[in-house]
Amino acid sequence: MARIGVFICHCGENIGETVDCTKLAEVTSRFPGVVKSVDYKYMCSEPGQTLIKEAIKENRLTGVVVAACSPRMHESTFRKTCSEAGLNPFLCEIANLREHCSWVHEKSEEATNKAIDIVRALVEKVKLNEPLYPIKVPVTKTALVIGGGVAGIQAALDIANGGHKVILVEKNPSIGGHMSQLSETFPTLDCSQCILTPRMVELAQHPNITLYSYAELESLDGFIGNFKVKIRKKAKSIDENLCTGCGLCTTKCPVKKIPNEFDENLSYRKAIYVPFPQAVPNKPVIDRENCTYYLKGKCKICERFCPTQAIRFDQQDEIIEVEAGAIVLATGFDIKRADFFPEYGFGKYKDVIDGLQFERIASASGPTLGEIRRLSDGKIPKKVVFIACAGSRDPAKGIEYCSKICCMYTAKHAILYKHKIHDGQAYVFYMDIRAGGKNYDEFTRRAIEEEGAKYIRGRVSRIYERDGKLIVVGADTLMNARPVVIEADMVVLATAGVASPGSEELAQKLHVAYDQYKFFTEAHPKLRPVETNTAGIFLAGACQSIKDIPESVSQASGAAAKVCGLFSQNELTRDPLIAVVNRTAPPLYSTCVGCFLCQSVCPYQAIEKEEIKAKDGSVIKIIAKINPGLCQGCGSCVALCRTKSIDLLGYTNRQIYAEVDAILNTL
Amino acid sequence: MDRVKQKARDLLDSNKVQVVIGYEEGTDGTARPVFIMDSKNIDKLIFNDRCYHNLAVYLTKVEVEKIGRVAVEASLNTLKGIVKLASEGQFVFEDIDILGVNRNGELYEFASLDEVIDYIDQHPVEYSPEEISLLRKIESMTREERWEYWQEEFSRCIRCYACRAACPNCYCDACIVDINQPQWISPTPDALGNLEWHIIRAMHLAGRCVNCGACAKACPVDIPLNILNLKLAEEISKNFGISEEFLLTNYPLAIYDPNDKENFIK
Ligand SMILES: Cc1cc2nc3c(=O)[nH]c(=O)nc-3n(C[C@H](O)[C@H](O)[C@H](O)COP(=O)(O)OP(=O)(O)OC[C@H]3O[C@@H](n4cnc5c(N)ncnc54)[C@H](O)[C@@H]3O)c2cc1C
Ligand code: SF4
Repeated sequence: MARIGVFICHCGENIGETVDCTKLAEVTSRFPGVVKSVDYKYMCSEPGQTLIKEAIKENRLTGVVVAACSPRMHESTFRKTCSEAGLNPFLCEIANLREHCSWVHEKSEEATNKAIDIVRALVEKVKLNEPLYPIKVPVTKTALVIGGGVAGIQAALDIANGGHKVILVEKNPSIGGHMSQLSETFPTLDCSQCILTPRMVELAQHPNITLYSYAELESLDGFIGNFKVKIRKKAKSIDENLCTGCGLCTTKCPVKKIPNEFDENLSYRKAIYVPFPQAVPNKPVIDRENCTYYLKGKCKICERFCPTQAIRFDQQDEIIEVEAGAIVLATGFDIKRADFFPEYGFGKYKDVIDGLQFERIASASGPTLGEIRRLSDGKIPKKVVFIACAGSRDPAKGIEYCSKICCMYTAKHAILYKHKIHDGQAYVFYMDIRAGGKNYDEFTRRAIEEEGAKYIRGRVSRIYERDGKLIVVGADTLMNARPVVIEADMVVLATAGVASPGSEELAQKLHVAYDQYKFFTEAHPKLRPVETNTAGIFLAGACQSIKDIPESVSQASGAAAKVCGLFSQNELTRDPLIAVVNRTAPPLYSTCVGCFLCQSVCPYQAIEKEEIKAKDGSVIKIIAKINPGLCQGCGSCVALCRTKSIDLLGYTNRQIYAEVDAILNTL
Repeated sequence: MDRVKQKARDLLDSNKVQVVIGYEEGTDGTARPVFIMDSKNIDKLIFNDRCYHNLAVYLTKVEVEKIGRVAVEASLNTLKGIVKLASEGQFVFEDIDILGVNRNGELYEFASLDEVIDYIDQHPVEYSPEEISLLRKIESMTREERWEYWQEEFSRCIRCYACRAACPNCYCDACIVDINQPQWISPTPDALGNLEWHIIRAMHLAGRCVNCGACAKACPVDIPLNILNLKLAEEISKNFGISEEFLLTNYPLAIYDPNDKENFIK
């Protein structure tokens, strides 16, 4: 006989304010099979859990229903509570009263009645629950880090220093990401390269780290602890073992006019190139789209001059297969470019530039060797207008979020400008100044108070050119929207930060959730910010949402800690909530008819063929079999199976039917 | 026809096959399926427009399997059934012999399943004007009228499952309506039970049905089941943007593809 306990949580006022929990406990106590029903203010608290444990022992409960918040939140908490009291954890079910009832209804009798129905459904389900036992899987103690910006570098170093192997995949010829492009960094104004380069070198030399630059993820199979990874190593057209990085090839290459991506297209590079002097690895690649040999079949000058004969024109992309136990996603971000701001003449006027271009101009290694000059005529700009929130927080532009870093780097730009051009004047158009961070507000105040940047609260409606000047038309909303017109020499747009290109495809390859803006989604916004919903895949840096360097690095270390935690075990236990194909008595053996349509619907390739054999070894029937290591319990096959031959443990057809029945019978 | 008969006779006499499944004259001018295991009965075989049964339906039966190797007299619809069943792994194409003549009067010689598919492609079936006009009539109804219409049609159903028995794709050993742990689909011939049955039947065939119409012809109370199937086939081709040829060997409702741009998948 079922002996079910019902434990109703008020969740403070979250549930208690809307649902009459006392009545709920009273009504549910009369359900057939329920031997105990109590309500309590915070069931997840220590006393609440003790209450459950004692009730399990005293009433010899065979099943528990906790009526509380979403199972996402506390299912594991309460299952653990049950197992501590000797009850198999899978005999505990959560009735979600918060999200499914109290949060979506007003306080009323109907809300309480709905809560009663929800609990009734779970009571009927739990009566059919069977004890389940966790599945054990081995762990491959190698981490894959995708993206070699500051976040990926930090995560890789932390994991490697924790004693584990790391494979870092970077799509560009060098690691470093956006940070390597920055001149100096807020709020301390230390030189970006100077603090980043040592980390890059440490990474390259770390015995635990294998770096694949100029490489991308080809495909991913498997699951937490046991990912099977294919990496596409794009052909660099050089033999990396022979190349000494002497740079002779780049000097000799005759193709000179290729826009240099690292300098945000403000300078030129060769067809065979190293993106920047401090690049890691410091070996060139040939850009096949622009190389004369690949375009016209002739040239090979670099080959002629290479002292070690390291050039390989016939090199192919290589697919490398590796195994990994955990993955850290650190693919960073991008910013909106010219085409997004026709109203600011961006792309049309040479002296309207974006923030990254300003970083390059301000950088000692940049196209102007650190002198702030106009791109049009090389003159020193005496008036510079910085426009914050260009594209961000702008529903009309389709980007409703705050890009978070622009307020700070705009203040930095204003300061850097003033440091370099003492008689210059910086203007900053802003909506709000968001400087919430350690020493951040002090930093923006310094820009205004000490460096004399003029901050104007308002938006810029238009920019046009007149007599070599850029006429910036805006409004000052603190002065009754008084129109402001500034004749500027240069305009810098702090353009919106966006997801890095290819994020969507990557997320789909990895089965990781992403939001409407294509940023990867964390498992819980507050409590699991570095995990994704796919077990074993973690997030670091701006690929989750735009972040500055300190935040990116912190999250990277957080992700590394998660990975090291995972790798501290030799075996993982997984919830046994997986699909199984039924078996019945001969001559049927199983109601499965072997149509194998379930095979193509399974996103995890978990469905195999199984032969049912007679004693003499002859095959009687071929049916589906689900690999428990691969199955993620998504239930796609269960829904598809015409003969209902597949059941999801913990959510069997019988259990779901009982739930539905329990709800319908009350109508 | 004589050549078909000769080939059937040879196959039986040489013991290459143990049974020939074809059509014979029935009562009242109808044709009906016949199982011939002795070549002296071969002359019973006929083939004409009255031969509408989809003989592929027998190929998955254990009883037939027990007799031995089968040769089947195949209409275009039967060929489609064979392709579908082979693609769902119900038998290996090479394990059956196909009898019949093409439009040029030559004996069928199919070396592989692909050749059958090519042949089917070259001979697209046109649905009868009656079928199409009924389909369009139902489509033009309001939602309420359509609901009424099908309620009315289904109300006659006596749950004899002749539709299921006639359908080559209804080969499950345990049909969902016969499964009672839990009993998702009510077996009772009342309004709800009938509705459930016909919806699940249509859904289980959506994307798999070869539109041979055998179900509707088998129905003793004339429920136009073929129209339901036809409509679903149209919807699937439209929504998944795929051809009939693709449908023959694939099941679009069960393809998981991370590149799918349909936003309901995300
Ligand atoms: C104009 C500007 C000024 C800034 N100034 C400051 C500052 O002063 N102080 C500060 O704290 N922050 C500043 N920031 C923010 C800083 O740039 C970011 O916080 C930091 O770069 C985030 O690091 P990340 O590693 O997450 O991403 P990224 O730097 O974007 O690195 C991501 C890396 O992943 C690689 N990648 C992308 N996709 C793939 C893929 N599919 N496969 C493999 N590799 C891939 C990329 O090539 C790149 O190397 C500024 C940003 C901008 C735009
Ligand atoms: S082949 Fe010529 S163009 Fe190409 S990289 Fe070498 S030198 Fe440059």
